[in-house]
Amino acid sequence: MLLAVLVANSEGNILVERFNGVPAEERLHWRSFLVKLGADNLKGVKNEELLVASHKSVYIVYTVLGDVSIFVVGKDEYDELALSEAIFVITSAVKDVCGKVPTERLFLDKYGKICLCLDEIVWKGLLENTDKDRIKRLVRLKPPTEF
Amino acid sequence: MAQPLVKKDDDRDDEYEYSPFLGIEKGAVLQEARVFNDPQLDPRRCSQVITKLLYLLNQGETFTKIEATEVFFAVTKLFQSKDVGLRRMVYLIIKELSPSADEVIIVTSSLMKDMNSRTDMYRANAIRVLCRITDGTLLTQIERYLKQAIVDKNPVVASAALVSGIHLLQTNPEIVKRWSNEVQEAVQSRAALVQFHALGLLHQIRQNDRLAVSKLVTSLTRGTVRSPLAQCLLIRYTSQVIRESGMNNQTGERPFYDYLEGCLRHKAEMVIFEAARAITELSGVTSRELNPAITVLQLFLSSSKPVLRFAAVRTLNKVAMTHPTAVTNCNIDMESLISDQNRSIATLAITTLLKTGNESSVDRLMKQITNFMSDIADEFKIVVVEAIRSLCLKFPLKYRALMNFLSNILREEGGFDYKKAIVDSIVILIRDIPDAKESGLLHLCEFIEDCEFTYLSTQILHFLGNEGPKTSDPSKYIRYIYNRVILENATVRAAAVSTLAKFGAMVDSLKPRIFILLKRCLFDNDDEVRDRATLYLNTLGGDGSVVETDSEVKEFLFGSFDIPLANMETSLKNYEPSEEPFDIDSVPREVKSLPLAEKKAPGKKPTGLGAPPSAPTSAADAYEKLLLLIPEFASFGKLFKSSAPVELTEAETEYAVNVVKHIFDNYVVFQYNCTNTIPEQLLENVIVVVDASDAEDFSEIASKPLRSLPCDSPGQTFVAFEKPEGVPAVGKFSNVLRFIVKEVEPSTGEAEEDGVEDEYQLEDLEVVAADYMLKVGVSNFKNAWESMGPDCERVDEYGLGPRESLTEAVNAVISLLGMQPCEGTEVVASNSRSHTCLLSGVYIGNVKVLVRLSFGIDGQKEVAMKLAVRSEDESVSDALHEIVASG
Repeated sequence: MLLAVLVANSEGNILVERFNGVPAEERLHWRSFLVKLGADNLKGVKNEELLVASHKSVYIVYTVLGDVSIFVVGKDEYDELALSEAIFVITSAVKDVCGKVPTERLFLDKYGKICLCLDEIVWKGLLENTDKDRIKRLVRLKPPTEF
Repeated sequence: MAQPLVKKDDDRDDEYEYSPFLGIEKGAVLQEARVFNDPQLDPRRCSQVITKLLYLLNQGETFTKIEATEVFFAVTKLFQSKDVGLRRMVYLIIKELSPSADEVIIVTSSLMKDMNSRTDMYRANAIRVLCRITDGTLLTQIERYLKQAIVDKNPVVASAALVSGIHLLQTNPEIVKRWSNEVQEAVQSRAALVQFHALGLLHQIRQNDRLAVSKLVTSLTRGTVRSPLAQCLLIRYTSQVIRESGMNNQTGERPFYDYLEGCLRHKAEMVIFEAARAITELSGVTSRELNPAITVLQLFLSSSKPVLRFAAVRTLNKVAMTHPTAVTNCNIDMESLISDQNRSIATLAITTLLKTGNESSVDRLMKQITNFMSDIADEFKIVVVEAIRSLCLKFPLKYRALMNFLSNILREEGGFDYKKAIVDSIVILIRDIPDAKESGLLHLCEFIEDCEFTYLSTQILHFLGNEGPKTSDPSKYIRYIYNRVILENATVRAAAVSTLAKFGAMVDSLKPRIFILLKRCLFDNDDEVRDRATLYLNTLGGDGSVVETDSEVKEFLFGSFDIPLANMETSLKNYEPSEEPFDIDSVPREVKSLPLAEKKAPGKKPTGLGAPPSAPTSAADAYEKLLLLIPEFASFGKLFKSSAPVELTEAETEYAVNVVKHIFDNYVVFQYNCTNTIPEQLLENVIVVVDASDAEDFSEIASKPLRSLPCDSPGQTFVAFEKPEGVPAVGKFSNVLRFIVKEVEPSTGEAEEDGVEDEYQLEDLEVVAADYMLKVGVSNFKNAWESMGPDCERVDEYGLGPRESLTEAVNAVISLLGMQPCEGTEVVASNSRSHTCLLSGVYIGNVKVLVRLSFGIDGQKEVAMKLAVRSEDESVSDALHEIVASG
């Protein structure tokens, strides 16, 4: 299960937070844990360089993209490798929507589109689409090109 | 040069100030949502409002029931718009609002229309939304469309239906299982993602049908798998088939191994790792099978990508637990990872090295770790501390260096969990390594001189009270304990008073001095401290002269408290102050909810960062208390051993039953832990009918039925057998669960009055020789062996026939005898032709037994074994030989 996708700005404020199968009372823990993880480790990291951590049986892969940092959390079959696949799709989709590496402002300007992309990528904790060009078409309700 | 820089800064300021969501407020957005009701819809404006709603929801904002309903009804109006972008947003916001069952009806007709639309993309999205919000009743109406969608030409539609199926399988399995023909067809799809999703769903539908899974794997491993993701799934299913099918006995080859090995050369890293992991997790994996996997993992250790380094070191860390020698080749690469920027990787590298290192490398490793400890977080330090604890138990002779390390880090800064892990480790080392006791206790004493955690101070004081009096010079600890009385808070002071009393009771020569100290405590300003001091002064016997303490007093001070604390608390709360004193015998001793019978669904509960688990209770103690509470078994004497639970039903059956075998000298009690998983049923008078015709030495003497077994609230029923005293009788028992079943009305939860008698066949159960052996380790086998002496030694040689490997032979003998392997000798070095394994245990009748096993394997894989047994009783040494001869 892909337990969470979280996007924060450089000050650690949450921009997007989507949980799957995480009880409501644990979400705040997760949020502060991830933000702290980012604050401790993401300084000076290059765009899209993937960092990894594990806590008990849960894996976290995270990265920085322009002004925003992106975290994905998973367990069981969503181990660090599956998560790195998922975060790769997310970063490429975000870059695609924003047209470049996003500033916080640009990210917020394209917020609706980004939400649609995330909806295509992760559906209730399962990875659904992995190709950015296809996602780009799907959010505009266009069928994929190979069809 | 300066100008553009200034300009850029200005830009940034503007950007920072002007966020599109600056000052966003829920109430205002909900007001804005009224535009959804406009007769002339403005799609752009509506999309913006939905984006704001999404932003609020994604920030963790919640809507009240009324707010959500209002927004949801307004959103449904947007189906009138033909604007494509807006429609896509509408699908998303409906899912996010997750309307309640009674509201869903408003959109179902619109969504069903979209589901049959000519526009493929409407179909796909409508399916996803409907499946997210629908319940079982609606599902039967749309099932036909979903089945069509699974085989739709458009891969997006097919994927939407398949992923919906994966979700719906959790709630409506019987419906989704009917789709297997369509899903089977989708597995052959040319679209990579459709194949991936179909494979996942098909496996979930058929996971309980071994033959079907095996066929699926056989056909796909020969055919084409189009995406790395699907390939990973296939590898997982393949290893499941391998686990269940075992070795091909004729050729000695493992089925599908070639496929896994082939995947190690796949171009996607994900697939390579999955295959490597699958190989390392094969049961009884040989070093020949393991080598290629270790080689690719070793290459990834020096990858430039942290995720790959992490994945490699994590897998090798697991391998090191079972095959430490196989990983030693990677030690050089692993050592360079100690300085890895990513602390997760560094910690895994360290703990792996601690497992694979040999006795001679301990000192060098400790030096490296000391530097490393200062710059990692507490949670990683805890992992290292735990690894050091197991290393110390493996090499008890190295306790001095390791204990010093623990005491040094105990003095440094750290949080509660970290300090607790260190203290727990020192306590365990003191218990298991007698030589380490005195130095360990002194380290703990120094720690409580400056300890900020009340919980740890009291825990250490309690431990000190039990262990300190048994040391060669108990008086040296008194200073540390009495300092607590002077310097600490009331809780710690009270604990220190109890500890002093224990020293007084056990060490007669110290008694007069302890009395003086306890008398000083009578002037403490805390009630509890004064009360305890008074109590102990009285129980220890008045005048404080050097006399021996009564055994009753010792029992009072050191005995276990056998009343459940929850019951004690309730009784005390109900007690009203009166002339009549509180009577402790009136507290009920029946345990209401047992820690052992906890609902076992570990996989279902999401793991988070939640509260730390409560301290583990000793299973053996809990069992003993439980059995003592049952009058029929109270006269059985001391419980010798309780086995681990043995499952008597398959996973996910309607009734789940496992059994724990409790062994007494004269008796055996089977404790059947039963769980009823059907909400519509209440079971009553639940009992297991045991047929012991294949266990001649056993005769049934008592059984205790379970009065009522509601759904998801586990309960126990017991059956007791008599057997000849001290004889390790073995036998096979067949079991049938018998009960009266009553229907439960789901809406009220009430059961009908009349029930029907029914039975449920359970798996057979065996009592084996290993059930009469306790796993008790010794810290220094050589010393223990020599001090036992050769008087009751019995030596013989056995041929074990052809075996797959030496490891397999060693494991078979260990599990046959049920003894504790010592000094890590259960691990066989790869490629070795001979091996010595040391075992220790306590046999029924409380007889200590030590075993030295020497194995040899020849070119034809014939294994020979020399078994030397030493014990305190020669008949026991003979008995062990008999077990091996008949096993």
